Amino acid sequence: MRQFVRATFLCAVFAAAANAQQPDSVRRKARADSIAKARQDSIALQRELEKALAQPTAAPAQAPVQGVGPTNPRLLPDVSAVGDLVGDLSPKGSTQEDRTRFGVREVELAFQAVVDPYFRGDFFLGLSDLEKVSIEQAFLTTTGIRDLEIRLGRYLMPFGKQNTTHRHDLHTVEYPWVIQRFLSPDALKGTGVYVSRVFAPFGFYEELQVTGVDRLGDAPADLRTVEPVNKNLSGLAFSARLRNYLDLTQSTNVELSASALTGRLEQPILVSSPFVNGGAFEPATTEVNAVGARQSLFGVDLTYRWRPLQQGLYRSFIFQTEVMHQVNQRNVLVPGCTSIALPPVQCSSTAFGGPGRDFTGAYAFARWQITTRGFLGARYDWVQDPLDPAGLGRNLTAGSGYLEWFPSEFSKLVAAYERYQSPGADGINRILLQASFALGPHKPHPF
Amino acid sequence: MLKNFRALASAAVLALAVFVPAIRANAQLKVVTSTTDLYDIAKAVGGDKIKAVHIGEGYQDPHFIEAKPSFILQLRDADVFAFVGLDLEIGWMPLLLEGARNQKIMFGGPGYLDVSRAIPVLDVPRGNVDRSMGDVHPLGNPHYWLDPANARRIARLFKDRFSELDHKNEDAYERNEKAFESRVSSAEQTWAGDLAAIKGKPVVAWHTSWRYFAEYNGMNIVAFMEPKPGVPPSPSHLVEVINAMKRTGAKVIVMEPFYDRKTADLVARQTNAKVLILPPSVGGVPGVTDYVQLMKYDMDALASTLRAAGE
Repeated sequence: MRQFVRATFLCAVFAAAANAQQPDSVRRKARADSIAKARQDSIALQRELEKALAQPTAAPAQAPVQGVGPTNPRLLPDVSAVGDLVGDLSPKGSTQEDRTRFGVREVELAFQAVVDPYFRGDFFLGLSDLEKVSIEQAFLTTTGIRDLEIRLGRYLMPFGKQNTTHRHDLHTVEYPWVIQRFLSPDALKGTGVYVSRVFAPFGFYEELQVTGVDRLGDAPADLRTVEPVNKNLSGLAFSARLRNYLDLTQSTNVELSASALTGRLEQPILVSSPFVNGGAFEPATTEVNAVGARQSLFGVDLTYRWRPLQQGLYRSFIFQTEVMHQVNQRNVLVPGCTSIALPPVQCSSTAFGGPGRDFTGAYAFARWQITTRGFLGARYDWVQDPLDPAGLGRNLTAGSGYLEWFPSEFSKLVAAYERYQSPGADGINRILLQASFALGPHKPHPF
Repeated sequence: MLKNFRALASAAVLALAVFVPAIRANAQLKVVTSTTDLYDIAKAVGGDKIKAVHIGEGYQDPHFIEAKPSFILQLRDADVFAFVGLDLEIGWMPLLLEGARNQKIMFGGPGYLDVSRAIPVLDVPRGNVDRSMGDVHPLGNPHYWLDPANARRIARLFKDRFSELDHKNEDAYERNEKAFESRVSSAEQTWAGDLAAIKGKPVVAWHTSWRYFAEYNGMNIVAFMEPKPGVPPSPSHLVEVINAMKRTGAKVIVMEPFYDRKTADLVARQTNAKVLILPPSVGGVPGVTDYVQLMKYDMDALASTLRAAGE
């Protein structure tokens, strides 16, 4: 091993110094030439200066240029706001979390600016009736490291394709069900360190994104463990994503990426007592009612885009699919009755109440551009549902269609129909309307 | 302890060797431009001393280029990124620059070249600006390359910047720049007759991209098909355009190849006018492979159409 390290060290030093490896005579001559050239340059510059000073000031060769002053002399950050309004006209009542028929799902405020020569800063605050004010994202990004980007703070976790898109920028009203069930209904965020490197060893674009964050998802309010799940560093959440992007032709391209994510989550402890519940296991209601268990996710996503350059204002097509597999730790050491402070009369044994199996889910989405501003989309979802009331992971399936209309680049109206079938329930028809609009500086178009 | 230190030091050197980019000796300047027009002028000035590529194509709307990651690979190693500016590329350029992680071409870097800084800009809005004015460019109209005087300014800007970054070839850049200016001047003489045929003639343009072209050749744009920049024409606006054409006798509708011509054809039928598709950029139509050819093509086509229309 030592030999290998030494050899690698020597290789690295020699590689870095390769350009400098020249014979002494050549180096000496180059140095003498360089000194002579510098002297000549210096004399020439002196003469040029004297000549210029001797001459009357000439009129500028170019016409005066307008607008050359600073456009933001007070160095204020870019401030923008996005409104996301949702209407739910589903025949059997609203399917929204707050049961409203018309609601302001979220207002997102963004403050973005360059911090100093080394960093850029971005804040995204979410305001909603349900969550009040929340820090959606807040991160510091390096700008001075070649080929490398490091972020510190809270950001959308780079897992899969759609999780990194703000909800109001989606082509659908809500995230695909597999993201809602496996990650979060409004995208999985993490707080920690993000490192990304771009490379192209095979001639096409590749990017590796690695993160280490405080924990996997939000801490559940109703589950408490003896010790925090991230007490040890191994309890932090870690993710990696490898993006591969390839232009097939001038009009078509494909992105095929793979992601992985692992971390520890609070899972419920079940207790059983012949005196209290007839021996049946039920969730503990004590101060400590959960145990940490590892959950890992693996995903593959594919996006195919077609947009002819000349007719790009009128015609385009996107096909996107993601497959995710959730692996749940099941051999968990569950604290005994005394550890969770239950007397024998209330607790004769404890058991793990987390998922008893692994789950898989996927979606496929396509969107056609039908006019300059009109788009037609469709999505099919299939998920082995972790929220199946029977705990069996039975299938949740859904089919949906979308009509999107962009009055301009800054506003979007969507009408959607979805029929979904969750485990053990009747199929539900949903009719959703969405209006989103952006105020403030022109943002780059999402790609 | 010492063993650990050695291992750590070796790892650090190895990491440096991997992450620190190799210094390129005697390499050509690598220039990336946002449009084909800037590319062609950069090539004319840089000659074989630079290696140039462009992001947008001449037949593509430069406002709506997609920020494809493959462009990031081009920008990663660029010494110069030259762009039109005035927010023309705002929909895609920030993503690419951030993705490229190349300080040389970031704002404030030596290779960040906002070409609009050398241009006397038209249509700078006065007073309050908001989006009720359409896809307005608050810093002014960015379609400035269709005026040969501005092409010369662009060439001079390239000469200066290339010379700053590549001092040893400054004589070559100076020579090439002068040759470009003289080529443009000679070409201007060949279309002097066209200028006379165009000057003062009423035309309708689809977008404000023809303002500098009109400033150069004197064509009189009496109406725009777009009621506001970037906003498609409504029926009521089309009626106004038709009335303006009838009132002024405009017989030509000028538009770019990337817009749908159906609406323009409809107006042309109502007014006995002709729709003229003009490339706004190098490569906009087959055969137009450099800046001089672009201007020649546009001037010839416009003058011939106006002559045929009896203007």
